[in-house]
Amino acid sequence: MTTSPTAQHVARRLTQNAGRYGAVLLRTYGIVLAFLVLVAVVAASSPEFATRTNIFNLFSQWAPAGIMAVAMTFVILAGGFDLSIASGFSLCAVTAAGVGRTEDPAVAFLAALGVGLAIGLVNGVLVEGARINPFITTVGTGFILNGIALVVTGNIAYVVDDPDFGTVGAGRWHGFPYSGMILIFSLVAGGLVLARTVYGQSIYAVGGNAEASRLSGIRVSTTVGSTYVWSGLSMGVAGIIAASQLNSAQANINPNIVFDVITIVVVGGTSLGGGIGAMWRTAVGLGIIAIISNAFSLANINPYYQDIVKGCIIVGALALDVYARRLAGRARTRPRAAAAPAHPDAPPGGGDRG
Amino acid sequence: MSEARTEPEGATDAAATASLALRGRAIHKSFPGVRALHDVDFDLRAGEVHGLVGENGAGKSTFVKIIMGAHAPDLGVVEAFGHEVRHGDPRARRRAGIAAIYQELTIVPEMSAAANVFLGRPQRRGPFVSRSETRRAFRQLTARLGLAIDPDVRAASLSVAHQQMLEIMRALAADHRILIMDEPTASLGPAERAHLYETIRGLREEGVSTVYVSHQLDEVLALCDRVSVMRDGEIVATEPVERWTKDGLVTAMLGHVLLKPPRQPRTIAEQEVLRVEGLSVPGVLDEISFTLRRGEILGLGGLVGAGRTELLRALAGADAGARGRLFVRGRERPWPRTVRSALALGIALAPEERKSQGLVLSLSAAANVSLTDMRSVASGPVLRGRRRLRRAAEIMRPFAFDARRLREPAGSFSGGNQQKLVVAKWLHRRPDVLLMDEFTRGIDVGAKEEMLALVRRLAAEGMSIIIVSSELEELVECADRVLVLARGRLIGELGHADASVERILRLAFEVEERAENGLAT
Repeated sequence: MTTSPTAQHVARRLTQNAGRYGAVLLRTYGIVLAFLVLVAVVAASSPEFATRTNIFNLFSQWAPAGIMAVAMTFVILAGGFDLSIASGFSLCAVTAAGVGRTEDPAVAFLAALGVGLAIGLVNGVLVEGARINPFITTVGTGFILNGIALVVTGNIAYVVDDPDFGTVGAGRWHGFPYSGMILIFSLVAGGLVLARTVYGQSIYAVGGNAEASRLSGIRVSTTVGSTYVWSGLSMGVAGIIAASQLNSAQANINPNIVFDVITIVVVGGTSLGGGIGAMWRTAVGLGIIAIISNAFSLANINPYYQDIVKGCIIVGALALDVYARRLAGRARTRPRAAAAPAHPDAPPGGGDRG
Repeated sequence: MSEARTEPEGATDAAATASLALRGRAIHKSFPGVRALHDVDFDLRAGEVHGLVGENGAGKSTFVKIIMGAHAPDLGVVEAFGHEVRHGDPRARRRAGIAAIYQELTIVPEMSAAANVFLGRPQRRGPFVSRSETRRAFRQLTARLGLAIDPDVRAASLSVAHQQMLEIMRALAADHRILIMDEPTASLGPAERAHLYETIRGLREEGVSTVYVSHQLDEVLALCDRVSVMRDGEIVATEPVERWTKDGLVTAMLGHVLLKPPRQPRTIAEQEVLRVEGLSVPGVLDEISFTLRRGEILGLGGLVGAGRTELLRALAGADAGARGRLFVRGRERPWPRTVRSALALGIALAPEERKSQGLVLSLSAAANVSLTDMRSVASGPVLRGRRRLRRAAEIMRPFAFDARRLREPAGSFSGGNQQKLVVAKWLHRRPDVLLMDEFTRGIDVGAKEEMLALVRRLAAEGMSIIIVSSELEELVECADRVLVLARGRLIGELGHADASVERILRLAFEVEERAENGLAT
């Protein structure tokens, strides 16, 4: 009994291809799978999780970080980094609350947006105009912004009495928070811009290879600089929402939010090296981080454990991503040779860089 | 399999077999759907330079990768000095002293030249890295290669040719006894090549064995002791170099005789597209003036470091330090300071380094092609994916390029296909003047012919093209006129009828000698 060589060959091809597609699928959508498993586990173990109130609250609670993560996705994809968002966020929140004490909420919100815009412009000009490393630049501007917020407020909370001021943060439509709507709108709009526009394509290009983009006639500095402007504006929006939710704001409102935002982007699978990633990944990353911390509070576990678990998840997610990419890269080189018989000596793993 | 592979020479030969540096026996390797290597027997004698030639796809790189342990053979054994070297045992390879120099560079750009050479094996004094010792060892190596490279210079600031020299020095520094060189001269100019040949010959005297993979048949014939030809995954012949001729090699590589059609004389319009007057880049280019006509192919000849790449970059607005007067269709324009302003004048650059300058490797092939003019595949700000794919497929049609792969990332393609993409980017935008730097670097014979044919076709369609190539034969064959540069100055102009490799080199070397004598006195 011998199997014909053709049948053997076909069987081998099939298993190899299955392996390849498995690896590619895992690499591309593994994070979605992780998210779904997480949802199932948390929903099964905690009856309060899958309730309307809880889910809606999550949207409202994570709106500020989520909105800044949308902008951070732009920044990171373009090959940059913005560490000034925590201080920028609190300065915008303080601005909104400070102005809101005496002025109309609309004026207060415009002021906060203006501050955010100014922060973004300064960061963009420093990074691209003066060509200072984005890490250092934004750490520096972060210190400055934090200092300004503390000096101006004396680290005292500004409390707003105008009930209208709370509408953006606490208002709801059929129970769904307005802030959640702003978050969803940002994710969808940001995603469309990245995936479907010339501008979005330029961001991927300059993040992937700035020199090749420049030689192709793309405005590299303008493109990269613009992402910092989005980041600044997102600080404004997030600051408004936070101040409005609390009807007050203080300079040290949430200094750790910068780590939440970066974690959301990175856990989703967007590469810190720039040029590789997507907005849907940020949405999934946001879901994962939000649900994990929600699970902790639902299960009433000491919140300090939460940090340990969050840290493990970041490192684990990155390791899994690297592993899946390597697996897919390796699996891909072989069928590649099959697709182009003229070049069996094409460089292996070339696609792995992508 | 063929009688050419057996060694019929008796006693002296038996002695040689006893001292084989490297031996591959009955190596088979298949990728799904492709037989990459079939029953390959190969031996490398101690102290010989063994040439390995063949078309792209013949299996050379697969073979090299199996020797280097990057691939496992399906069947067969690799031995170094009589000991089997197994796949997945890089230490055994290091012990056996096998080093490979690939055509793609592995330089750490931010480190100094000397640090790159001694990467992983620093020159120590006690537990500390000794800078003076490193410099001294580095200077010894440069002297051995007849080079003048500053040990403290940042590697990224060196020319590609010098970066490659660093790689060769790295292998020499590690005292490797078996060197695998895969197209080591692809980016080197004649002077550097000559130095490299001398080095390889010198190493041969020291007993180092070299496998020399190259597309340059003249070079293989001049340098090697024996030459093996690969075709379709088999070694079809191994002969001492005396028994080979260039034609013989080509015939063995192709399996049939190649006839080159004679070049048609071309008539070029009188219309001047570009006139450059007094172009200078401080320290690099000195008062260069020339004109370019519509549909003309202008070649820039010269040695590495003559300023050819710099001239192209200055014209393309990629070098902000350039000064000079530029006339486009007779009208004077301010010298372009940015790539975008050059593009606005209709001048575009297809750069030298396809991976670092030419392509965004993470983006798809189609996206790369359209990168030069995204508006044309968009409605307003919205990109049209299908239109972009269609457009890219249209542009790539004349090339042998699998259109189904246009969605794959550019990084997944072979060097030749990547080079096609770099050029295709500009076919998408269609500039009036296209500057092509090292446009055939590291691609195989077939792809090279396609590239040359493409250049001629574009010129026939009215595009003016300036080409730079270290393969002077290509310039001579392709260009209507060749400008010769040396040390940043324009030293001669040769029409198509007068241009020959020899004349270009003679012009260039004269200046070099004069400059060196001038320095000596």
